[in-house]
Amino acid sequence: MAKDETGRESASRFRIIATDIHFWIPLLVFVAGLVLLHELR
Amino acid sequence: MNTVATGATVESPMSAGRLRKLQTLGIFCGVVAGAWLGGAEAPIKMVNPDVSPITVSLIMVFGVFLARWSVPALVRGTSSVRYDVSQAPHLVVWAVLAGCMWAAANTLTIHAIRKVGLSIAFPLWNANSLLGIFWGFLLFNELHHAGWKRWVGVLGGAAAMFAGATLLAFASSSQAPPGKGMLGVIAALGAGVLWGTMYIPYRKAYLTGMNPLSFLTFFTVGELVTMIALAVGYKGGTALWQELMSARSMLFWLMLGGFVWVIGDLFQQYAAKYVGISRGIPLSNTNQLWGLLWGILVFHELQGGNRTVYSQVIGGSVLMGLGALAIALSSASEREHSSWRDAAQREGQRYGVEDGYVRAGMEGREFERGGKRRTLIDGILIAASTAVFIVLAAVARVPRMDMHLTWAAALAAAMLVLLVSCGITLWRTTGFR
Repeated sequence: MAKDETGRESASRFRIIATDIHFWIPLLVFVAGLVLLHELR
Repeated sequence: MNTVATGATVESPMSAGRLRKLQTLGIFCGVVAGAWLGGAEAPIKMVNPDVSPITVSLIMVFGVFLARWSVPALVRGTSSVRYDVSQAPHLVVWAVLAGCMWAAANTLTIHAIRKVGLSIAFPLWNANSLLGIFWGFLLFNELHHAGWKRWVGVLGGAAAMFAGATLLAFASSSQAPPGKGMLGVIAALGAGVLWGTMYIPYRKAYLTGMNPLSFLTFFTVGELVTMIALAVGYKGGTALWQELMSARSMLFWLMLGGFVWVIGDLFQQYAAKYVGISRGIPLSNTNQLWGLLWGILVFHELQGGNRTVYSQVIGGSVLMGLGALAIALSSASEREHSSWRDAAQREGQRYGVEDGYVRAGMEGREFERGGKRRTLIDGILIAASTAVFIVLAAVARVPRMDMHLTWAAALAAAMLVLLVSCGITLWRTTGFR
């Protein structure tokens, strides 16, 4: 498993993901899509 | 020729010749993607329209799932997938998320087509490439320092393709039942936004150096899980199973459609990797043109249409072709590519990915320690997928349809020529990196 300079592993990787706008934009759009699908049923 | 990038060689900037070669390759991949994504519609047209769209979508996704686990095993071996994940494990999250988005977008598209028809749904869907250009510019430095000519080429080309898609969709819808409802428009827009935003995970993965074959392997997990959840949620488990059983003679055609779709999608991923989403996605959206070719030449659609319909088809096709050409001629300059490298470096530093791996991925070279060993698992995956297709083919029924087989053979041959020529070029230039 690749490590960053300070040797941080999975826990900090999840923290980095949680602060990454590249994660939140698609996730929010996906959730909105699910809501829309629910409305269309 | 394949080259191995060592820690030392990847430090040097990519030569202008190599950059040109990769850009041409990416454009070629986008064109081939359009052909195969469009060709995937052909087997689906052979299926009884009584099967519900959600079930059609689910079975296709099963075919996609099998193809996406067996094709990477065949091309590079699952050990290379494991190696990629060990280098950038965080990207699994984006791959699964992209798969989830695909399933939701596909279901919304089905809703849209049913409610408002192709003429409104498809152009709105096609707008996803404009959103892709926006995200590429905003988040990944695409079109930065590109100069006004390339901006005009990409945006003008995408706009021309959008206009062409609108004309083609109106022509396609001339024989479709009329649709209605604002909800359909919203569904089509929602699908376009989902498709367009799905390219964020694509670009993030490829800037970081992940191989498209590895990305797809995890993408399909999100896709299948979401699709099963949606199908069970919509229809209920028992009703879904009964419909699957009653449609078993058609399963092969739907899964074949999914398989063909995966080949197209794979080339779309390589296009997104080497020319970015701002060019790769509009180019692969020429699938609408190929779908129409199959419809008109093989399935006798639009027969007896009036002059307006044929004008729309010719005008739409010319516009789409010109738009694709404008984008193909606007490949990234060295200055723009250096902006991509900045974005890639930012990603690598953020997630602690080895610099050599990131650069080797961008340059389409093998990283020094990349695993390419084939194992027993690869053989099992390929054999199991093949067996499923053989079993389904054995129980499949060829529907009674008025098809022009000569045209079908000609189009299939054209697709195969594109696949082989692009596959060989991809192999020689990057070794499927």
